[in-house]
Amino acid sequence: MRRGALPSLAVAAVLGLLPAAVAASVAQYAAARQAILSHYAAEARREDPNFKGFSASAGQAFFLAHPAAARPATPSCSTCHTTNPRNWGMTRAGKRIAPVAVSVTPSRFTDLHKVELWFRRNCNSVYGRPCTAIEKGDYITFMASQ
Amino acid sequence: MDQGASPARVTLDTPVWDRGVRAFHWLLAAAVAGAAYTGFFDKRLALRLHLILGVAVMVLVAFRLVWGFLGGSYARFASFVPSPRALIEHLRRLGDPHPARHLGHNPLGALMVLGLLCVLAAIAATGTVALGGFLKQGPLAPFTSFATGQLLLQVHKALAILLVAMVVAHLAGVAFESWRQHENLVGAMLTGRKRVLPPAEQAAPARPHPRAAAAVLAATVAAGGAGVALLAARPGLGVPPARLDPTYVADCGACHMAYPPELLPAPSWSAIMADLSHHFGEDASLGPRDTAAIAAWLRANAATRWDTLPAHLFRTVDPAKPTLITATPAWRRLHRAIPAAVFRQQPVVSAANCGACHRDAASGRFAPQQIVLPRGVKA
Repeated sequence: MRRGALPSLAVAAVLGLLPAAVAASVAQYAAARQAILSHYAAEARREDPNFKGFSASAGQAFFLAHPAAARPATPSCSTCHTTNPRNWGMTRAGKRIAPVAVSVTPSRFTDLHKVELWFRRNCNSVYGRPCTAIEKGDYITFMASQ
Repeated sequence: MDQGASPARVTLDTPVWDRGVRAFHWLLAAAVAGAAYTGFFDKRLALRLHLILGVAVMVLVAFRLVWGFLGGSYARFASFVPSPRALIEHLRRLGDPHPARHLGHNPLGALMVLGLLCVLAAIAATGTVALGGFLKQGPLAPFTSFATGQLLLQVHKALAILLVAMVVAHLAGVAFESWRQHENLVGAMLTGRKRVLPPAEQAAPARPHPRAAAAVLAATVAAGGAGVALLAARPGLGVPPARLDPTYVADCGACHMAYPPELLPAPSWSAIMADLSHHFGEDASLGPRDTAAIAAWLRANAATRWDTLPAHLFRTVDPAKPTLITATPAWRRLHRAIPAAVFRQQPVVSAANCGACHRDAASGRFAPQQIVLPRGVKA
């Protein structure tokens, strides 16, 4: 074998594998997110027998709303996440928040424990109450479309 | 040089201060002036420069000790360390308008040289202990408690004031002798030459050994530097480990910097963890298991367990707001010069964002050298 062929082969292998690995993990993320949406859909049918499916536009309205029951420091989701989910957000304590839009942060909404934790915290802060399964599903559907 | 052959009015120059003495004198004056300025006036924000100048003073003093044995005639301790009798005689004749000539240091000046060297060495030593105990930096950090460091910092400051007084006395002595002997002693320290006027007490001739002196000094500095580097790499006494609890970092560090637990006392952490649903205006609740685990870890590593400056400063909270680091008396005092607007501007956003200005905030060290204020902010 020609000298230097081995390193270039390795580089080629890495360059070839990298997009494949990214694509594989994106597909895994999509599957995990779909499982979470199915979980919320099942809950939503219990909440509302007429539930027909999640709506991205309802999720967008939910994201941009300024609910009356919001705590003073957090009047809206967009207070920290900005009105464009593809933007980086910032917490009140100055910590950057990765974009919520799935197109920018593919790992969003793929861990049910984490999703539940943050819906509980942030719904209480912004809406002054826990969110319904329909609201959660709408929100994720909107973010997955962004 | 045959003085007998010269007419009385003709003055002859003779070399007195060799290059080593002159370079030492002016470099030391510059280093001491800089260290004094940064120490007395710039405090925290110039600590880096203060330490560099302090090390320079140490190396210069070490050089002078070596040069006192290997330097030229008038540089050697043997030529100027006065006997008590010579000192008393010199003091008795201070008012004499025709004093005995000393080409080198006169007995009182010699005493000042030795005194300055001792006080400078003591300032360097107490500064190093203070650095080790108070800031947990440098070679003595592994061995020095905060209380010792704090005490020695006071001694360091007192010695610095003593040094200023000694420098004033030194300058007054130079002015007095220049007037009494009709000789520009400042100029002599620049050119190295003095007039030969009988009767002048001359030192026994001695050849300087610059190469030997350089070798001794280089060996001393290398050994000292290696020792300092080895010791400074060891963990400081009572300094918490750099690693924070991963659950704490993940769950609490998502919204705000993961405050090192030594920034509050245990009762404050208990109060915070008891009501995460109302956490500085937001719901930051966690599952019961995570809450309990994080609370236990925070309490076990709270301020009173550690011996760092932040741990000592922030164990005292504002009784009205015991959960707020930025309400503690120490925090208010240390940040009082910074306008409130600075904390709101980008990229600081909030006074809770320690890392915006303290580059080492996450480690809990808060070294003065790591403070970088946003552009245009003076403090």
